[in-house]
Amino acid sequence: MSHSPAPSSPELLLDQHVKYIKELDTKKNDLEYWLTEHLRVNGLYWGTTALHLLGRPEALDHDQIVEYLVKCQHDNGGFGGHIDHDPHILSTLSAVQVLITYDRLDAINVDRVVDYITSLHNPDGTFSGDAWGETDTRFIFCALNCLSLLKRLDDKRLNLDKTIEYIVRCRNFDGGFGSAPGGESHAAQVYVCVGSLTILGAQQHIDADQLGWWLSERQLKNGGLNGRPEKLEDVCYSWWVLSSLSMLKRVHWIDGAKLTKFILEAQDTETGGISDRPGNLPDVFHTNFGICGLSLLGYPGLVVVDPIYCMPRHVIQRIGLADKH
Amino acid sequence: MEGRHGQKKEKAESPEALKAREEKEAVLVREYLGLKDSLKEIVDSNRRDNEALKITTALLRKSPDYYTIWNVRRTILKEGFLDNANEETANIIYTNELEFVQDNLRLNPKSYFMWNHRRWCLENMSKPRWDKELGMVGKFLEMDARNFHGWDYRRYIIRQVDLQDGQNKDTVLARAQTEFDFTTAKISQNFSNYSAWHNRSTLLGKLVENLTEQEREATVDNEFDLVKNAIYTDPEDQSAWLYDLWLIGREQRSISTLGASVISFNPLEIVVAFDEIVKLRHPFTVSTRIDHVAIPLAGEWRATGSDASLGSVWIFQQAPEVEYGPSVEVVIFSDDICAVRAGSTLPAAVCFELETLNQDFASISGRLGRLEIGKNLMYDVTKRIGPIAEPAGNLETQERSKKHLVTSLTTSGSMDDRVALLDREIASVRELVELEPDCKWPIQILSTLLSELRKTMSIHSSRAKEIDDECIELQEKLISIDPLRQERYEDRRTQLVFDRETLSIVKDSKRLPEVEFAENQPRDLDLSMRGLTHIPISSYFIHLDTLNLDSNAITSTRFLRNLLSVRRLNLSNNLIERLEGVQHAPSLEFLSLEGNQIAKWEDVMAGFVFWREGKLSRTGATVKVLLGLNPVVENEGGEYVLEKRWEDVGEVGVQIQWQTDEVRLAEEVQLRDDEGVIHMEGTRRVSATVVEFDAGAGH
Repeated sequence: MSHSPAPSSPELLLDQHVKYIKELDTKKNDLEYWLTEHLRVNGLYWGTTALHLLGRPEALDHDQIVEYLVKCQHDNGGFGGHIDHDPHILSTLSAVQVLITYDRLDAINVDRVVDYITSLHNPDGTFSGDAWGETDTRFIFCALNCLSLLKRLDDKRLNLDKTIEYIVRCRNFDGGFGSAPGGESHAAQVYVCVGSLTILGAQQHIDADQLGWWLSERQLKNGGLNGRPEKLEDVCYSWWVLSSLSMLKRVHWIDGAKLTKFILEAQDTETGGISDRPGNLPDVFHTNFGICGLSLLGYPGLVVVDPIYCMPRHVIQRIGLADKH
Repeated sequence: MEGRHGQKKEKAESPEALKAREEKEAVLVREYLGLKDSLKEIVDSNRRDNEALKITTALLRKSPDYYTIWNVRRTILKEGFLDNANEETANIIYTNELEFVQDNLRLNPKSYFMWNHRRWCLENMSKPRWDKELGMVGKFLEMDARNFHGWDYRRYIIRQVDLQDGQNKDTVLARAQTEFDFTTAKISQNFSNYSAWHNRSTLLGKLVENLTEQEREATVDNEFDLVKNAIYTDPEDQSAWLYDLWLIGREQRSISTLGASVISFNPLEIVVAFDEIVKLRHPFTVSTRIDHVAIPLAGEWRATGSDASLGSVWIFQQAPEVEYGPSVEVVIFSDDICAVRAGSTLPAAVCFELETLNQDFASISGRLGRLEIGKNLMYDVTKRIGPIAEPAGNLETQERSKKHLVTSLTTSGSMDDRVALLDREIASVRELVELEPDCKWPIQILSTLLSELRKTMSIHSSRAKEIDDECIELQEKLISIDPLRQERYEDRRTQLVFDRETLSIVKDSKRLPEVEFAENQPRDLDLSMRGLTHIPISSYFIHLDTLNLDSNAITSTRFLRNLLSVRRLNLSNNLIERLEGVQHAPSLEFLSLEGNQIAKWEDVMAGFVFWREGKLSRTGATVKVLLGLNPVVENEGGEYVLEKRWEDVGEVGVQIQWQTDEVRLAEEVQLRDDEGVIHMEGTRRVSATVVEFDAGAGH
C-alpha cells in the first residue's frame, strides 16, 4: 500500500501552515475572531494537534496556553469554550487533549473533570453535552475519549453496557451510525460511534465490511470525500471517513494518492491554512483535519496521528493507550 | 458549526478597498464588543429583564453558536418572566421565542444550538403545537431536502407526539404511514434524496409488522419497483442502490467450529479452531471422566497470537497438576463466543470428545493431522456435562426448516422463497448490467446477490463453483472501471479466490452453510500466484505442513499466529513491510521472505519479540528466514547490524540468515526435492551470518 502523492500533487506548505496557526490569535481586528470566541479551546486543540503533527510542537507557548486553559475550567470541573463561557463536554475534551499533549495534566484537577463528565451520564447510556441536556452520539464519544485519556473508564458511576446498547441502536440499514436512534448515517457520526465502540472494545457490533463499503463510497472522482451519499466533498471528511476506515483496518479501500492531492489543493498558498475545498477560505478546523488526514495517509515527514484519539501517536503511546485497541 | 464551510476566497483587493473594508470591520468589532460588555454586566448583576433579553437577542443574531448566550437567555426567560407567568402569558413568551428562532434558522439552518432552543421551548410549553412544527420543518426540508438537522427534528417531533398519545398503536402506525408517504413524495421529487431513503428504511420495518404474509410480499415488491425506477433513472446514483442492498438483505453468517485436537498431554493442551475471529465471553467448558464421574477440568483458554483475547484458534492449557481421565470433553455454548464481525453467531452448542489415552505423538503437527470434528448439540442447555444428542432429522429437513435471518422485510421463512427472490433480482440486475456495462453499481449488486445465492447451496456444488468464478470475474471488472476503490475489490476477490482454493480443506457441515474440516486433510497447500491480498481465514491452515504463498500481494504476516504445524512457509514476492507473528508459529523451520518490502531491521525483529511458555514456546528453536531482495538487505551492510539487533532482542533462539543467489538456488532445489527435514549443513554459504541465542531464563 503506497500513498505517495500523485506526480502533479502540490507540496505540503509546512512553514506556511505553522505561521497561519501561530498568527490565529493576532487577528483581533477581524469580526470573525470575536464571533468564533466560543470555539477558542477547541481551536487550541486543533492548532496544537496540527503543529505537533507538523513537527513544530514549540510553535505555540505551552505555558501561556496551560495558564489560559486553567482559567476556562469551572468549579464543576467542566471547561468552557473560552474564559467565562459555560462548561460543555466539547470544550472539556479539547482542553484535556491539549493538556495531555503537553503532558501538563498536573495543572488541573482531574477528579473534578471526571465528576463533570459522569454528571452528564444518563440512565440510557448517553451523555449530555452540558447541563441543558442535549444528547448526541458525539457527546458519548467526547465522554469516552476523555475518560479513556484520563484512565477513568472504570469509574463506578458509569454504565457503559448501556452506552454500547445505545450506540448499537444508532446503527442503520447501511451499516453506518447517526446522531441518535433513527438518525441518518453521517461520516462524522460514524467516526464517533466507531471510536466509542473501539475504545470500549466492542467493535463486534460493527459490520466492518458493510460499513467499510459505505465509507469507501464517500470518495468522489476528484479524490475528496463527502460525509453522506450524493453530497459535496469536504476536507474535514478526510478525517472522519479515513479514521473510521483506519479503526476498521480498511484505509486502503480508498485511493490515498488522490485524496492526498485533494487535501493539498485545498491549501491556501497565500496565507497558509487549509479550507473545506479548493478555492475557499481556510480555517484552523480544516487545517487540522486536513493535516490529520495526510498523516493517516502516511504523508512523508508528518508525525503519525492516532486514528481513535486524533492526537499524535507518540502521545498516546506515552500514556500507554497505544496497544489497547 | 465548527469551521467555515463554502466561503469562497475573494480576489485580492486594491489598497483603498482594503482600507474601506478594514474601517467597516472595525466598526462592527466595536459594536460587537460593546454588546459583549453589556452581556457581562447582565451576568454579573443577575439582571433578568427585557433590556437583558434584548442584548442576548442582538448577540445571538450575530453569533448564533455562542451557546453560553442561549443559556443566559433561557435563564433570563425562566427567572425573569416564566416563573411568575400564568399559562397564557407563558405560551406567548414561548411562541415569541419560537418565532425568534425560526427567523434565525432561515439564515443558519445548521446551527445545533438554535434547534435545541426550539426543543426547550416546546418541551416546556403547556400546549405545544406539534402540527405547526411539522409544517415548519417541512418548509425547511423544501429549502434543503438533505438538511440532517431538519430530518432529525422531524423524527423528534413524531417521537414526541407518539409519546404524547401514550404510544397508541393505531395512531402511531397512522403517523408512521404519513411519514412514509412523506419520504415517497421526497423521493419522487428527487431519487437522489438519501435522507428520505434512510427514513423510509426506519419506517418500513414498523409498517410491515402487522401485515399478513401476502400484504408484506406486496409491500416488498412495491419497494423493489420504486428502487428499479430510481436506478433506471440514474444508475450511477448510490442512494437507491444502498436501499436495494438493504432490501435484498443478508443471510446472517454463522460461526463454524472447524475442529479440535489435543496438542500436548503434560500439561494438557487442547486446540479449537473456528472459521472466523471470535471473542471469548465465557471460557469453554472442559471436563473429563474419572471413575464414570464427569468432573470439570480447570485451566485457561487463550487465543493464539499476542492478543490472547480474540482469535480464530484457541488453546486450552490445564491448571498445573490436575488429573484427567482417558478422554476429555470440550463444550462450546452459543453465548460463550461472539464474532468480531457483526451478526455472526454460533447457532448451537458444539461438543468435542477427545481421546487422551493414547499419548502417541511427538510433535504438534502429528496431532493436528487428526482433528476431531465437533458434534452439534441442538439444544443449548446451560453448561451441561454429559452425553450428546444427535441433531434431529436429515440435512435436507434441518435446512428447509431453518428460518432465514435476513432483513425484517424479506424474511419469509423458507429457503425456497429466498432463492426465488434472489433469482428474480439477479435476472433483473443482469438486464441493467447489459445496458450499462461500465456502471459499477449494478455489477456490485449482482456480485452481492450471487454471493447471497451461494449461501443457500452446498459449497461443493457445481453451481457454487460457477458463482465463485463469475464473482471473481465481476471483481476484475470493478477494478478496471472503479480504480479509486481498487483495493476493496481486490480484498473481495481475495476472499472469493481463497474460498475456491481451500475447498479441499473443508466440507459442508450438518448445519449448511456452515463448514467443518474435511476428513482427509491435505498437508501441503500451494496458493502461489493467486493475487491474494490477505489470508481471510488463517485457521484453515492450522494443520498444514507446507504452505506456498509465493507471488501474491500479501501485506501482513499476522496470520502466522495460526500456523501451528507449518514447518515451511514460502512468502516470497509479496508486499510485506514488517514481519509479525513468527513467534506464534511453533513448528516453523523455514520462512522465505525474499522479494518483499522489509526496509528496517526492527521490522524483521518485530516478529521475534514475544513468546509464550508451554508447548508453543520457541525456546531453543531455530527458524531460517530468507531475506534476499528486501530493501533491508540492500540498504544496510548486513552482518554488523544483524548481530547488533540480535543482542537487543535476545529472547528467542532463532537462526536467521540470508544468502547469495548461488546458495539460494541450492535451497530451492532442496525445497522441491525435500520430503523431510532440511539439512543446511554442507551447503556452501557465502557472506551468510548465523547468530544463535538461547531464550533468557527470566521468560
